[in-house]
Amino acid sequence: MTAYLIRRAIQMVGVLVLSAIVSFLLLDLAPGSPTEGLRQQVNTSTRRITEEDIARILASYELDLYTPFRFTRWLVGFPTGPLQLFGKEYFADYAVGCSAAIEAEVVDSAGNFSVRTIGCARYVTLADMVGRRTSNGVMRGDFGLSWGLLRARPVADLVWSRLPWTLQLMGLSYAISLAIAIPLGVYQAVRQYSRFDYVFTFAAFAGSSMPTFFFGILMILFVSILAQRAGLPWLPPGDAVAVRDYFIPVLGTIEPGTAMDRVLHTIMPVSVLVLFNTAFYTRFVRSSMLEVLRQNYVRTARAKGLVERVVILKHALRNALIPFVTVVVYAIPGIFGGAIITESVFNWPGMGRLFIDALGRADYPVSMALIMIGAFLTVVATLLGDVLYTLVDPRIKYG
Amino acid sequence: MATKNRLMAAFSTLAIAAFLLAACAPGGVTVVETQIVERVVTQEVEVVVQAEAYTTPHPILSDIRVRKAIAFCSNRPEMIASVYTFVDDPNSLLMDTFIPSDHWAHAAGVEQYAFDPAQGAALLDEAGWTLAEGADVRQNAAGEALALHFTTTSAAFRQTWAAVFESNMADCGIQVVRLHAPASWWFGDTTGLSRRDFELGAFAWVGEADPGGETLYACDGIPLPSNGWSGQNYMGWCNEAASVAIRAANNTLDRDERIAQYAITQQEFAKDMPSLPLFNRVEVLATNKDLAGFAPAPGEPYATYNIHEWEIAGLDTIVLGYTQEPASLFTLVENAFVAVNAYITLGGYPVSSLNYDFQANMYVTQLPTLDNGGATLATVDVAEGTTVVDTSGAAVALASGVTVKDADGNDVAFSGGTVPMQQMTLNWELVPGITFSDGAPVTAADIDLATAINCSPDSGATDFTTCDRTASAVATDTSLVVTLVPGYTPPLYFTVGNGGCSGPCWYPAHRVLSDGRTLADVPASEWTTLPEIAESPIDTGAYMITEWVKGQSMTFEANPFFYLGAPKTPTIVIKFVADTNQAVAQLLTGQVDVLFGETLGAGAEVQTVRDAADAGEVAIYILPSATWEHIDFNLFTR
Repeated sequence: MTAYLIRRAIQMVGVLVLSAIVSFLLLDLAPGSPTEGLRQQVNTSTRRITEEDIARILASYELDLYTPFRFTRWLVGFPTGPLQLFGKEYFADYAVGCSAAIEAEVVDSAGNFSVRTIGCARYVTLADMVGRRTSNGVMRGDFGLSWGLLRARPVADLVWSRLPWTLQLMGLSYAISLAIAIPLGVYQAVRQYSRFDYVFTFAAFAGSSMPTFFFGILMILFVSILAQRAGLPWLPPGDAVAVRDYFIPVLGTIEPGTAMDRVLHTIMPVSVLVLFNTAFYTRFVRSSMLEVLRQNYVRTARAKGLVERVVILKHALRNALIPFVTVVVYAIPGIFGGAIITESVFNWPGMGRLFIDALGRADYPVSMALIMIGAFLTVVATLLGDVLYTLVDPRIKYG
Repeated sequence: MATKNRLMAAFSTLAIAAFLLAACAPGGVTVVETQIVERVVTQEVEVVVQAEAYTTPHPILSDIRVRKAIAFCSNRPEMIASVYTFVDDPNSLLMDTFIPSDHWAHAAGVEQYAFDPAQGAALLDEAGWTLAEGADVRQNAAGEALALHFTTTSAAFRQTWAAVFESNMADCGIQVVRLHAPASWWFGDTTGLSRRDFELGAFAWVGEADPGGETLYACDGIPLPSNGWSGQNYMGWCNEAASVAIRAANNTLDRDERIAQYAITQQEFAKDMPSLPLFNRVEVLATNKDLAGFAPAPGEPYATYNIHEWEIAGLDTIVLGYTQEPASLFTLVENAFVAVNAYITLGGYPVSSLNYDFQANMYVTQLPTLDNGGATLATVDVAEGTTVVDTSGAAVALASGVTVKDADGNDVAFSGGTVPMQQMTLNWELVPGITFSDGAPVTAADIDLATAINCSPDSGATDFTTCDRTASAVATDTSLVVTLVPGYTPPLYFTVGNGGCSGPCWYPAHRVLSDGRTLADVPASEWTTLPEIAESPIDTGAYMITEWVKGQSMTFEANPFFYLGAPKTPTIVIKFVADTNQAVAQLLTGQVDVLFGETLGAGAEVQTVRDAADAGEVAIYILPSATWEHIDFNLFTR
């Protein structure tokens, strides 16, 4: 088992590095950057950005470095300057970037123009790296500085400001979903083809196929706006906490930041996620239970005269939940990563909304941090799932 | 141990690979001279360019009759109605020149192009584009179809009105092939519009209190390969009279003279029809129905300019909703709409531009103009090495060969000795009692600090246009004298303050930081990361920031030392609501009191707000925005 875990840990590092390379390159190729549009301000009626200005701005975002060096500085915080060996510097003049490219306007026979870089007028060398701000590298837990959302301040600050809210929302919704879905799925399986089964199968399909944004907007309309207009108790349409007092019939005046305020703000987004997750989990538990209920050992248990409750809970459910373990552990990245759509619809200040904001404002250090956190949690969840298999099913052994 | 070694090996391999990959980049070249190559012959691309590109008249659009026909065939009120269903009178948004009709520089009496498809058809017939019996598309004598490519962004707003335009053109026998390209391509630095890669191209310009326009409508503003694609006259329109007039309008400080020159340019523009002005976009703002003191106006982008006068009866807090969260409150590095508004809340707003004019809004007794004596023009003898603004508008050291405008307005190539030039000085008088929210009065040291930081290349600022053109900024505790470099007399001279600010600005030099230093001792390179600057600055505005909950809200409390007295509402909260539906829901349920155009946009949600306003639940303000849509005709082909 130990050897297996070590092997998997090494594989995890490989997967993480690979996903880091791929996602870094993808974002590198993506259109949009903090410097977009600067060249069009070289000569306008109000602004005259100079080439020196552009070079300085590129340097502040490290966009004057060649991609491999930007990547290694982001990943492991290397290089930070010339190589130092036994008190001597090496490769000080080695070019690691270009702060002023020589660009060529290429025109093809069809008259199409395109711009190509054909050389460099001013290289950035390893010696120029000395004194530049850099992170210690993602691999050492330093996600660097934000480009856009929290300009020039640590990405980690942003992540920590959003993580508690996402954990609250997602943790609560998963817990409630499981609490509902497992007994519901079991009951549906036991009462297969009953009216109850049909109704909840239909509800499960509806819940899993209805987009969360649609259900979310419907809830806001009915439970917030129309309910308030009708003078009924209503729920705040969004946010995690209020910023000033508000009045709700029956409940009275709610002060911002109180437990009641937080609960009221949590109900709608959690409900949307619970509906979606419960629908999915219920169907899974139902089908898993149905398969187990047909097994010989269940029949044997019944033949032994065990009461039905014991047969269902002890013999069938425990075995039916084995494949369910995998499904549940894969929810871990989601619990930390947030629900992008639900958080956006309800203005919930979580990780999902942060990811969307980061992409929208070309804040790639933040995007990359969230991608890497997601990748890390995914590989950890996978490993956890494998380990849990050995605990819940003694037949499985890793060697 | 083995694992550690393997990890080390993996990292080493990665690092070596990085060096090897980087080595593939061009290196080891000693560059003697930097040059921007305009065209190169490469193996894989066959280059055939004998003459300057974009100098061949467009076979269809170079004919003024076709351009005018397109204008007559365009039902612009229908286009407006298609995107702004909530606007009662679409004609109120119509544009007839490149300046909004309520702007001081707008010229009355220019040639008009009201929707008249019959007149459009007649012009097309006259131009030789006839419609055969039963045909849908006109043809010329050579049998070529009257078909044009129409390029714009893929925004739903533009897809909607472009569909109307396409239909209008089809009714006149003009086939329009629409291309809705990604904005990143259409507005890219080296693609789309900037390379004039279109026949009919639609986009928007943002009008300003000063109309500018020199780079947009002068002959030398035409982007071409030979000038490095400099300029924004994407149409390729060169009308000598208009070009001279737009230059004159931008190089005189006399308001009447400017109006006269802009009138010439607008008349020529309407006559030549190089671009079809369509309509002003609308700016929709919505508020709590009881909000008093809220007075947005065309031309002024920041309705918070008078936030200290806002109040809602019975409420001690006003909540403002914004789409974005500021990246920083250091406005030198963050100029997002929300950041500027947040900074106005705590820092004030010295110069406003209500109704496309300028006013002294706070802190100063008046705007320094030549008329009121606050600004003066003096003739100075300028010697070699002095920083001047040359005839191209660049700030350069005076040297042999540099062409400048002398004091008499003549272009002179400097060849030694001295040259007499005009130099402008602006005298700003501060009103008494301006005090930071910690109780310290503004002093000369605070103003000097703003000048030094804002003009430092290490501060993180992107634009030093004004700093580079400022010879000196001398402050006292009650005044500021800004002297511009010789040759720099911008039309908006009366807004030029220190450190590139609009009007005087300052930082609290005395403020003690958490590490014991005072702000005056902190080098510019640290300012972007300084919490006391980026997150909790103090200033002299009506409010001071007391809390910033990331991802949620910012809270501002009244500044007890505000020089105009206590603001009418004790607390302002700025809330970040990205989704428009959510923002409207919060407005309707009273969770937010003010929503701005950047959040509301002009989509279906506005109709919801409009309905709520009609029902008396909220207040809505629909203003013609400074942004206006138009269709450029590219008069030349590549």
